[in-house]
Amino acid sequence: MASDGKGDGIHLRDTVRGEPQRFFDAQGVDELVSISMALAQELWTVKERMVVLESAAAAKGVLLNEELEQHQLTAEEQERLGAERAKFIDRIFFVLREQAEGLKSRDPDEPTPPQL
Amino acid sequence: MSESAQNLKIQPTRDEQARQRFVSGMRYYILHNVAAGMRTVYENKVEPRFKHDHGRDPEDGPEVHKAIKDETMFKFYSSMRCNAQEMVWRSVIPMVERNAEDLAARAKAIGADREVAQGTLELDPDFEVPKAVSALDIHLMPGSYHSEYMPDDVSIGAVYDNGGLVFSMGLLGEAREDIGASISCFVSHRYPDFKPARILDLGCGLGNNTLPWARTYPDAEVHAIDVGAPLLRYGHARAQVRGTSVHFHQRAVEDPGFDDESFDLIFSSMLLHEVPPKNVGRTFSEAFRLLKPGGLMLHMELPPNNMTAAYDSFYLDWDSYYNKEPFYKPFRDMDLRQVCADAGFAPDNYVNFVIPSLHLAGRQAILDAVSQETADVNRNTGRMAKTIQWFCFGAWK
Repeated sequence: MASDGKGDGIHLRDTVRGEPQRFFDAQGVDELVSISMALAQELWTVKERMVVLESAAAAKGVLLNEELEQHQLTAEEQERLGAERAKFIDRIFFVLREQAEGLKSRDPDEPTPPQL
Repeated sequence: MSESAQNLKIQPTRDEQARQRFVSGMRYYILHNVAAGMRTVYENKVEPRFKHDHGRDPEDGPEVHKAIKDETMFKFYSSMRCNAQEMVWRSVIPMVERNAEDLAARAKAIGADREVAQGTLELDPDFEVPKAVSALDIHLMPGSYHSEYMPDDVSIGAVYDNGGLVFSMGLLGEAREDIGASISCFVSHRYPDFKPARILDLGCGLGNNTLPWARTYPDAEVHAIDVGAPLLRYGHARAQVRGTSVHFHQRAVEDPGFDDESFDLIFSSMLLHEVPPKNVGRTFSEAFRLLKPGGLMLHMELPPNNMTAAYDSFYLDWDSYYNKEPFYKPFRDMDLRQVCADAGFAPDNYVNFVIPSLHLAGRQAILDAVSQETADVNRNTGRMAKTIQWFCFGAWK
């Protein structure tokens, strides 16, 4: 699976070892639940930032809509946004990366849950 | 040192903060709205169908579990809970990674500074982390309690601490010391003549629930053991920051060391469901050995299955099947009075209590509970909500 888009520095493992739990009979539904929740989280993050942005802009008396339409990002800003986007996509499709990494890091001696 | 150098706080970015708030909100929605929906499906569809087919109510958690597991609501509840649980840890890991090296240095410096508190840290470089902790990511936390990424690492401690705040949805306050604070307050009023001189906390984690005992009994010498070095380093620094002297040791609860009859009170919180069932008896026998005559062993846990209704047993055992806490149900199936008796405690000396939350219900609610004779387990016991109550049990030696 593709890399997680993280740069240098200390990396903590963020995937859970072993096979993930499955609840739905149809293939892919468990993954879609996961992806939907991550999307909802990202959407919320944007909404929070928008609220702050609008509040800060209003406090400064800025005409936000017009300025946003005309504003151009610098090359440096665009590069930063591209890196952010890679991390954004990894967060949303995290469950697919986890399946691969979880299998790799699985311990054969992992205690099993009780039998139902 | 700057203010942040004197504590273990790390700053999330605005987006990280928003993600963390989202996960808390999502968990609250799942544990309240979706859980209530699942109960409605059970009461209106699953239970009547079971009664029709069997001519009786479901008898225990597994019968409820089997009857409900094909329901779409159960599947969504379960899938969303697993995802939200993983999102708890993932929402804090990036900020821990960013601060990992600085946090390690801070924890080391704070731990060495004995001006405010005189706590100590004893790590065992030859310690072998038990497979029950090292072979799985307990409660879906990547790295479990022991993983280390560099020398003097406290990363997992920081993930557990900051993640715990997201997990508890702010219900238990920033320090999340409520279990220890509520139970120590209760014990000190229920048994005013009991003045423990030496206290041991088993499986202390970050020491959140150790520190309140040291504050309740300020003359006591307080020790705490756990298996995870990064948790202990972090917990030691955390205790020093909070000006509370606790002696942390890297030891297993089944083999804690210490001299015979050297403690007056032995406590644990949310520990026993993470101990392999075959080792629970040994943990109690060791507690019996360590207690002085007249001493008290007290464990906080979810209430056992023989005290909960069939649906609540299913609901509370969910984590055993799906949250990488495989020993939860075997523990909750135990006869607690018998396990204490098998370890040497006289059956008449068995105690159990249901204690309101000091943080949420206040001191008067605890004082009211002090005068009640029996433990009244209900749907609020151990369940993360504003009405949460803590179940604990144990025995006098």
